[in-house]
Amino acid sequence: MKKTFLINDLVWMGLAFLVCWGGLKLGFGSFSQPQAGFMPFLTGMVLGLLALGDLISGLISRWGAEKSDPEIWVNIQWGKLLLTVAVLFLYTALFTIVGFLIATIFLLFYLYRVMEPKPWRFVVFASILTTVLFYLGFKVGLESQLPRGLLGFYF
Amino acid sequence: MDLPNYLLLGFQVAFQPQNLFYCFTGVIIGTLVGVLPGMGPVAAMSLLLPATFHISPVGAMIMLAGIYYGAQYGGSTTSILVNIPGEASSVMTCLDGYQMARQGRAGPALGIAAFGSFIAGTIGILGLVLIAPPLVNFALRFGPPEYFSLMVLGLTVLTFLTSASMVRALMMATFGLILGTIGLDTISGLARFSFNIPELLDGVGLVPVVMGLFGISEVLLNIETKIKREIFTTKVKGLLPSKKDWAQSIGAIFRGTFIGFFLGILPGGGAVISSFASYAIEKRVSKHPEEFGKGAIEGVAAPEAANNSAAQTAFIPLLTLGIPSNVVMALLLGALIIHGLTPGPLLLSQHPELFWGVVASMYVGNAMLLALNLPLIGIWVQLLRVPYTILFPLIVLFCLIGAYSINNSSFDVAIMLIFGIIGYLMKKLSLEAAPLVLAFVLGPMMETALRQSLIKSKGSFSIFFTRPISAICILVALALMVLPLLPWFRRRRPGISLDQEDVT
Repeated sequence: MKKTFLINDLVWMGLAFLVCWGGLKLGFGSFSQPQAGFMPFLTGMVLGLLALGDLISGLISRWGAEKSDPEIWVNIQWGKLLLTVAVLFLYTALFTIVGFLIATIFLLFYLYRVMEPKPWRFVVFASILTTVLFYLGFKVGLESQLPRGLLGFYF
Repeated sequence: MDLPNYLLLGFQVAFQPQNLFYCFTGVIIGTLVGVLPGMGPVAAMSLLLPATFHISPVGAMIMLAGIYYGAQYGGSTTSILVNIPGEASSVMTCLDGYQMARQGRAGPALGIAAFGSFIAGTIGILGLVLIAPPLVNFALRFGPPEYFSLMVLGLTVLTFLTSASMVRALMMATFGLILGTIGLDTISGLARFSFNIPELLDGVGLVPVVMGLFGISEVLLNIETKIKREIFTTKVKGLLPSKKDWAQSIGAIFRGTFIGFFLGILPGGGAVISSFASYAIEKRVSKHPEEFGKGAIEGVAAPEAANNSAAQTAFIPLLTLGIPSNVVMALLLGALIIHGLTPGPLLLSQHPELFWGVVASMYVGNAMLLALNLPLIGIWVQLLRVPYTILFPLIVLFCLIGAYSINNSSFDVAIMLIFGIIGYLMKKLSLEAAPLVLAFVLGPMMETALRQSLIKSKGSFSIFFTRPISAICILVALALMVLPLLPWFRRRRPGISLDQEDVT
């Protein structure tokens, strides 16, 4: 796991470099007349230096030490995790098109089953009930502008 | 008008029927999110922020503030009954509260938590009333250098107190400052890091960022591992603490209140840090420190008093200086701005009804919480029986709707999901989200203050050291940054010892 922390610091240093570069492109100005790129450049520099400091102290303490860092990427159900993220992005992309009601019912079908398999009868009932309650609470109660989508004619 | 008249005005505002309703709604929602693990006051306030657009600014602030301090009350219930802190500031309550519950003393633990919270909350409000007006006069002397230095101090204090690795916390704060630069530059009007995406011209929204980092990331973490929650089945009885309990706790309550009071005011402080600090101090001053972690009632009373006291006094820097001291205050700052109000020294003189109305409502809210929480404990216990497999789809849905409702934009939902993934990775890598969010909110204010100061001083950084208030803030911040480098201090640093000895 030592590698994870190394990569982490390198990623932050890479980001810091990009921000500094972006800051210079925007225009640093001068200390007496700071321009739009002034703050991004300074913060990018600070981030880069901090990441470098963390990297060096990590290299000294981790590589020299006998004990290993905690394993943070073991026992992770990657399939479930990545599928959930994908489903959430898909919902985000589609719910303005198909509408809140339909998209949310299908999202809840997935979410109610993802943690542990439950009977389909329960999943269908709970998904519809939850969607209707949220619709009533937010759309009717709080007057939120939830997208109507395909059912716009009816709701 | 003098203080009694202002207070009278405040209570007149707080006792208006609609404001009483908002206060009641806020404290009930706060207690609810405090009880339910996986959803804290930050997510709840983000979610309800769009709903407050329809109500008056005073009503909105009363309700949002109620959620915050209500969550401090609710968080203790789960800590004591199921050993799961419903809220980060209740982590320390788990240590002795749950042990008391296992020994059949859940009632006194819940009782002392509620009474301690009420006493501390009341003292915190009194402090707010007494300190805020003179501080406003003091704040009027603040110029850009003082504001910049104070914000630097706030961020440094937060990174100093909350994380085992200060360098990493500072990295997160810097990342937050970078995120704050996205969008149009307030001085030149130039678009920065917007990548020709029109939605990014206004910058990244606070609510999607907060909901992603605190809500969605938690859900993702829970998906990867199976949660086994122990359900408390014993009936809770005898909520009123005995004379012996009071004798043991009263000192702890006042010490906790005192610690919370000052850590709450401090920029970068807040309820979480206060509860950690008060527990550590209580253990140190106790005649029987070996009983801590095994069901000492002082271990419940002190952190509960501290987090409630801090929850009240955290409003002082926000309402007087316009500087949020923690993430929740940052959200309230956002709410004030959305409602067309400018937080800062002039808020008190321009909108006394808001300032004093919110203050008075806190007292009313605290009384409501004391009156409601103990009789309703049975209902909160029942809520704990809801399995996480049912709860987490609801949390996801709340976050999705909350992020969408701000601007009716699915772009904000996508931003929330991206920050959910970032938050998940940050938690895996032990990177703290709180400095990121606070820096993200303070970033634009800091940048403006820094650039104005430098223009004023013709590019000389000495302006931050020649003005007394600014110099003190900068020097304290520098001292806090240097302290962790000293070997003798590394062994004593509070964040490290607490994490290693008590929390895990």
